[in-house]
Amino acid sequence: MGGFVTLEGVKKRYRMGEVEIMAADGIDFQIQKGEFAVVVGPSGAGKTTVLNILGGMDTASEGTVMVDGQDITGYSQKRLTAYRRDDIGFVFQFYNLIPNLTALENVELALQICKNPMDAQEVLEEVGLGQRLDNFPAQLSGGEQQRVSIARALAKNPKILLCDEPTGALDYNTGKAILKLLQDTCRIKGMTVILITHNSAIAPMADRVIKIKNGRVADIRRNPRPVPVETIEW
Amino acid sequence: MKKKAARKDFYMEIRKSPGRFLSILFIVALGVAFFSGIRASEPDMRLSGDSYFDGAELMDIKALCTYGITEADIRTIEQEDGVAYAEGAYSADFLYNTSDEQQVLHVMSLQEKMNRVTVSEGRLPESSGECMADDSSGFQIGDEIKLESGTDDEITDTLKTDTLKVVGLGNSPCYLSYGRGSTTVGDGSISAFLVVPEETFDMEVYTEVYLQVEGAKELLAFTDVYDEQIDSVMERMEDLAGERAVVRRNELRDEANEKLDEARDELEEGRVTAAKELADAAKEIADAEVQIADARLQIADGRVKIIDAKKTLSSKQKELDTAKAEYQSGLAQLMEGKRAYEQGYQQYETARAEAEAQFAEGRQQLEGLKAQIEEDKQSYQTVLEQIGVLKGKIKELEVQAGASGGSDASGGNSAVGGSSSTGGNEGNAESGPVYPDAGQGGGTDNEEIPQPDPGQPGVDIEQMLVQLRQQLAELDQTSQLLLMKIEGQEQAYEAGIAELNAGQKQLEDSKARLDASKQQLDSAEAEIASAPAQLASGQSQINQGWNELKEQETKLDEGEAEIASNESKIADAKKEYEEGKLEAEAEIADGEREIAEAEAEIADIELPKWYVYDRSTLIEYSGFGENAERLGAIGRVFPVLFFLVAALISLTSMTRMVEEQRTSIGTMKALGYGKGAIASKYIGYALLATAGGSILGVLIGEKILPYIIVYAYGILYQHLPQILVPYDWGYAAMASGAAVFCTIFATVMACYKELDAQPAVLMRPPTPKNGRRVLLERVGFIWRHLNFTWKSTIRNLMRYKKRFFMTIFGIGGCMALMLVGFGLKDSCYEIAELQFAEIQFYDGSVYLEEDITEEQQKNLMESLGGEEQITGYMEADMQNITLVNGKKERAAYECVFEDVESIPEFVDFHDRKSKEKYELSDDGVIISEKTAKLLEIKEGDTIEIKDEENGNKKVKVSQICENYMGHYIYFTPGCYEEAYGEKPEYNSILFKVEDSCTNTQMEKLGRNILKQDGALSVSYTHDIEKQLDDMLRSLNLVIIVLIISAGMLAFVVLYNLNTVNIAERKRELATLKVLGFYNMEVAEYVYRENILLTFLGAVVGVVLGKFLHLFIIETVEVDSAMFGRNINLPSFIYSLVLTVIFSLMINGVMYFKLKKIDMVESLKSIE
Repeated sequence: MGGFVTLEGVKKRYRMGEVEIMAADGIDFQIQKGEFAVVVGPSGAGKTTVLNILGGMDTASEGTVMVDGQDITGYSQKRLTAYRRDDIGFVFQFYNLIPNLTALENVELALQICKNPMDAQEVLEEVGLGQRLDNFPAQLSGGEQQRVSIARALAKNPKILLCDEPTGALDYNTGKAILKLLQDTCRIKGMTVILITHNSAIAPMADRVIKIKNGRVADIRRNPRPVPVETIEW
Repeated sequence: MKKKAARKDFYMEIRKSPGRFLSILFIVALGVAFFSGIRASEPDMRLSGDSYFDGAELMDIKALCTYGITEADIRTIEQEDGVAYAEGAYSADFLYNTSDEQQVLHVMSLQEKMNRVTVSEGRLPESSGECMADDSSGFQIGDEIKLESGTDDEITDTLKTDTLKVVGLGNSPCYLSYGRGSTTVGDGSISAFLVVPEETFDMEVYTEVYLQVEGAKELLAFTDVYDEQIDSVMERMEDLAGERAVVRRNELRDEANEKLDEARDELEEGRVTAAKELADAAKEIADAEVQIADARLQIADGRVKIIDAKKTLSSKQKELDTAKAEYQSGLAQLMEGKRAYEQGYQQYETARAEAEAQFAEGRQQLEGLKAQIEEDKQSYQTVLEQIGVLKGKIKELEVQAGASGGSDASGGNSAVGGSSSTGGNEGNAESGPVYPDAGQGGGTDNEEIPQPDPGQPGVDIEQMLVQLRQQLAELDQTSQLLLMKIEGQEQAYEAGIAELNAGQKQLEDSKARLDASKQQLDSAEAEIASAPAQLASGQSQINQGWNELKEQETKLDEGEAEIASNESKIADAKKEYEEGKLEAEAEIADGEREIAEAEAEIADIELPKWYVYDRSTLIEYSGFGENAERLGAIGRVFPVLFFLVAALISLTSMTRMVEEQRTSIGTMKALGYGKGAIASKYIGYALLATAGGSILGVLIGEKILPYIIVYAYGILYQHLPQILVPYDWGYAAMASGAAVFCTIFATVMACYKELDAQPAVLMRPPTPKNGRRVLLERVGFIWRHLNFTWKSTIRNLMRYKKRFFMTIFGIGGCMALMLVGFGLKDSCYEIAELQFAEIQFYDGSVYLEEDITEEQQKNLMESLGGEEQITGYMEADMQNITLVNGKKERAAYECVFEDVESIPEFVDFHDRKSKEKYELSDDGVIISEKTAKLLEIKEGDTIEIKDEENGNKKVKVSQICENYMGHYIYFTPGCYEEAYGEKPEYNSILFKVEDSCTNTQMEKLGRNILKQDGALSVSYTHDIEKQLDDMLRSLNLVIIVLIISAGMLAFVVLYNLNTVNIAERKRELATLKVLGFYNMEVAEYVYRENILLTFLGAVVGVVLGKFLHLFIIETVEVDSAMFGRNINLPSFIYSLVLTVIFSLMINGVMYFKLKKIDMVESLKSIE
């Protein structure tokens, strides 16, 4: 199979009272290392389940999830935590910065638990926040906060950068800037970026587009020539 | 529908957040329980006490009178308004000596109506000689208690018997606790009481009267209402006492006057009798003298008579002597006469014998003659007869032819006749007997005759007649011859007889002559024979006379001796009389003086003094009230703090809840719900939680807390039969109301704020709180060295200021409460340690007997010096006195140390705070700190020592020293002398022992000391320590209650705050989790804040606790002791550790809460 990230027959069932909800009903896909993948689908299709499972926040009820050759499916909570801290960089829709830590400190927060972190300041400079290191999240704009969030994820030197609707809470331009940052990161650093969004307009910028519908993969499309972010409109 | 939905939402809200609901409920419950519970403890304690007092019919007022109380007094008192009952009673204090100590026992009479004792074992005493003993006294049923009087009066003046047998053990409401009060006998402190039947007392008047005030029973003791009721009656009693005092004095005077009159009469009587007796005595003496004089005369007389008698006797003797001589000569003559007579008689006898013989011969001759005669006569007769017969025969023969006669008989006759003629002188009377002799002769003849007769039957009658006529004729011849012989013989006989008779006559004449001289002699002899008897009787008479005389003389001598003794007796009697006279005079003088004295005394009979007391005179009664008050003091401070914390927590919880639900509020508002409807949910929620908590709190708190606390005091007041803990609705309402008000108000305010905003605003997430730099960041030095997580923590703390302060206040409060709890224990427990390790170093004191001689005291001191283990000793004067400053009075112990130099060995005077050492000097006294504080005395002030008789003594206070137990005023002998104007009398010896000396050794030492003369009792410091420990143990439970409550509060506070904290920061924590923080790391992130807050809170708690402790100690403190103001390090550590433990426990619980946080939360949008 050889995928950097491989999902095979991943199913996720939730019990809601008496009813069993099938959030993921056999999802299979592969993402290669260094790819910029976009998981796209409407609300309730199972994107978040995929994200949760990939991000080690949840475990699959069935199937296998291989990341960099490791099967994380059977991981214990503890190993999952380790997986999250070492292998995953998470970018939240609402940035989820610690409000009373400065931008720099927010990055450092992630770094202190990480095996081979990058320099927080450098990373922040890389994401273009060199001037705002000592600002508190509340003093930053949404985009800036998201940059901090990305810097925080990147600084950990993760295997995968998982982004959950990173532009969801941002305005169009800022959103684009963030996407650009993510794409650049992928391209420059060779980081595997998985971006989860309901906005299919973003798809063209991805190396791989995975469409999910009703808990299944509807379509996996390899995009041989991703377009730059700037050209995308929505 | 609308309503239903709202209601459902409301219930759902509770179901959804049971933790919050319950936490509010519980914290309110805790707060309310603590507040109302501790507050209710005060009235509950009073109530428990009151119910005991009422049940035991405890008196309300006690009155004493210096002259005792009469039945009349009691009747009058009972009629007074407001007095329900009055009952007289007896009581007295006696000494009881055990082998090693002397105890003072308070003996009181068993009362019918009031002050009922409770028997815990055995039975009530029923007769004189039985008693019920104090059950904490150590007496056992069956013990015999031999009481001794502690005063000069005999014990039997008061009691009928001095030995009481314990028949029961029990307690009296008059003695609530261990204290038994003080007395004036023995060592001054009563160690136990005994209850005896009233008749055991042998007194005319009651020693005290107990009163019950109308309506007082219904009132709660220790309350103002009760006090007022009692005071009003007491005032009346005081007035009444004044009246009764006058009555009593008059009575006493009358009585005394009566007695005095009696005494006077007696004296008068005595005087008269004495005079009479004296006069009698004098007369007797005179009589005796007269008698003696008479006796003397008689004796003299007697002597004279004796002399006369002696003379007479002497002459008589002489006479007698002559008579004797005469008698002798007479006797000699008589002898001679007798001899002559004898001679004559002999002559006569011989003559007579001759004559007799002649006579006999003559008579014999005569007899013979006579017999011859007779014989002849007979023969004559026979012849006659033979003649006759012959004649007859002749005739017959003649007739017949013959005649016969006999001739044989004539021969026999003639032989006999011959012999009889020789003794012919004999009388005719003798002829009879002589006849047979003659007859014999004749007889023989006669027998020969008849024989021839028969032999002649055939003779021829004529021959025979011829022979017979021849024979007749022969016979006639013979008969003639015989007749002639007889006649001659008769003539001779007659002459012999005449001759014999003349000789006879001659003999008879000489005999008559002899007889006459014999008669003469006999009469002379008889005469002489009577003479010796006469002489003897004369002599014996004389002798008798002498004897008598001697007797008389001895009698006289005796009489003289008697007279002499009588004289000396009289002399004695005279002396006696003189003495008696003097004595009688002296006695009369005495009597007169006594009467005079008695008169003076009567004049001096003062108004008896009445003392009217309320129940505070009972030992520990006030203490009980004070303890209740103290509880109240704790109740006013402690639970308020507690309540405040609880209220703040519930308040924040509700505010927080409203804030959390802003979106929901906005939605509701957007949906068109009215403000009221929306707010009602929260208000309802708050109300339900708070009201529920309040009810729970009241129900549990008001039962459990007061019970525990009163129970704890029960250790002190062990006889409280039951603990009453009714619900105190006042406090319940106060606590509940405050809790509900606080929470509702907070909720309303929060709702109001939210509801005021537009729905749109509410729907949007609230602008997040800005992260802010904290002050600490300016201190780059520290900040830079901080781990950024710490930085985050610190910033977080600062960010949520409300939470920060709430937590600090909450933890601080708990810490403070615990610290106060532990500190109270320290302060109370420390005092013994401080008092006896840092202030009073002596290990015991020997109390001396009051009448100890100097020598005994010296010996005692020497023996103390001789004990190896005793390292030091000093004489001291210890007295209970009353200190006065203005209107304030305080009982204190006055100590005068004999040896000023060595005081530091026994007592260390220093200031509590500065530890500056003081020295006792003659300049002034040192008084103990608490005493000074209570009396409001400062160094340099002058204090007065109460002396009602001679006026108060004034002394200058030079220093105030640290002291915890008791009130002391220390003097040097010099200072004492200056104040009192006399030298102190040392009544005790303080001593110190080696450190290694154990209690047992020390007690042994004490017993040795007590064996010495003059040592009354020994008290040991360790006893006091133990006693104190016992007393303070009751505080333990209260302290534990405080600590547990504080811990619970800490728990709830921390839990609540943490829950809020976590809830607030769920997203943040979820993010951390997503970022790959291990659970532990996430927890640490939160814990770090908690720990920091805990420590900050603890610091605040220390400060707060210290102040609170000081405040509470000052309110809780008993007057007799000063509690330590210190809290020991261990207490800080315990409190801190406990706080940390609570904190950790909360953190432990939080860990699971944190673990449960779903990472998905992080993906959600901000609400």
